[in-house]
Amino acid sequence: MDSSSAPNPTKATSSDLPRAYLVRSERERLLEAMLRVSAAKGYETTSVDDVLAVAGVSREAFDQMFAGKEACFLEAYEAVFDVLVAHVTAAFEAAAGEPWPQRIVAGLSALVGLLSIEAGIARLAMVEVTAAGEAARARYRSALARFTPFLEEGRDYSGQSEELPADTARFAIGGATSMIFDEVRAGRGPELKRILPDLVFAVLMPYIGPEAAEDEMRRVARGT
Amino acid sequence: MGKQAATKVRAGAKGAGAGDRSTPAPTLRLVVSPKRQQILEGMLEVVGDYGYEAASVQKVLDITDLYRQAFYDSFKDVESCYLAALDFGVGRTEAAVKAAAAAEESWRGKLRAGLTTLLEALEANPGLGRALIVEVHAAGPKALKRRSAAMKRVTDFIDSARDEVDTDEAPPGIAAEGIAAGMHSLVHAKLAAGDVEGFRELLPDFMYFAVLPYFGPEAAAKEMQAAKA
Repeated sequence: MDSSSAPNPTKATSSDLPRAYLVRSERERLLEAMLRVSAAKGYETTSVDDVLAVAGVSREAFDQMFAGKEACFLEAYEAVFDVLVAHVTAAFEAAAGEPWPQRIVAGLSALVGLLSIEAGIARLAMVEVTAAGEAARARYRSALARFTPFLEEGRDYSGQSEELPADTARFAIGGATSMIFDEVRAGRGPELKRILPDLVFAVLMPYIGPEAAEDEMRRVARGT
Repeated sequence: MGKQAATKVRAGAKGAGAGDRSTPAPTLRLVVSPKRQQILEGMLEVVGDYGYEAASVQKVLDITDLYRQAFYDSFKDVESCYLAALDFGVGRTEAAVKAAAAAEESWRGKLRAGLTTLLEALEANPGLGRALIVEVHAAGPKALKRRSAAMKRVTDFIDSARDEVDTDEAPPGIAAEGIAAGMHSLVHAKLAAGDVEGFRELLPDFMYFAVLPYFGPEAAAKEMQAAKA
């Protein structure tokens, strides 16, 4: 939030800002700090004090907003996935006139693009989260499920909507996420774009079969 | 892998010759120091029930009825014990899967038999599945290395389908990895959600996904139907 958007620009000193604005701003700083710190040093070794120091927020303020470290992490995690899903959705929608496989390529390309720029966040979102306890893992699963609608459009495109197994979308997402997980865990997050052709094959193959998926994979590898 | 050397697996079934037995899965007896095995099994049970984070030496002792010294005779701490238990549990499951697959001739037969054994093991003991497949993520880099190695073995088996396919018909190298990862994620999601039933029902879909890239949609649909029967 940019302070220039405050309603009265002549009274821009922080003490005059509405209370709700201050609260939200501290909350956002905490969420941001939680992401940065846990991305840098891992969720387990991150303490609330680390987060407070980076956010410049008092312990009292933290305690008023969050039940504890986990609650703060979960909310920050949700925010990260909101950004990821919005980014992928935008790319998928921008390719609305294209055949479904190309829209998936656009979405995957946007995904690995963002994850490779934000390698620390990628590690947090895809790897750390699986070690951050039951609640975090549940969030992770429902977050991944948000990509399902994009994939399920492939049912109609495949022309064999009825025959495809019910689990096709989850299978495809699982395959792709596991490949991303392995890369990010191995410290190759910044070069994630290199596996884009592989991801394209893994996601498309269950819907359009190995030959058509391989064609798309080759096209992506050639960069056309 | 000196610790593994102490564990010798004796398969009760003799591959193809075991057809006249009525037991569905080959029985395995593990020759290992009884206390050590008790601890390994206890650790898997504790991790399956409470999660790795909450696992403790005390919980393992409670469940096994052993004295503290028995634990420390064999293991330094929770992590080293869990790592040994992971090897033990994965090794035992893998031996059962391999024994089932060995009774079949074709890749598709081996795949079906192996997956059936694996899914039945999960159905019979979802706690073991959680300890091996879900909690491994919470147990640090050494455990994750073992996970990667196990996934690699699954991937290599899947990709051995190539031997039965013409070279120009074969899918790209990444196919097997995608299949193994996709199957893993469906099993993982079920276990992590505490959904303890219906593992066997995954078989038709798994057959479809694995057969599809190597043998095409028709063969995949056929395998799926056969597995539903």
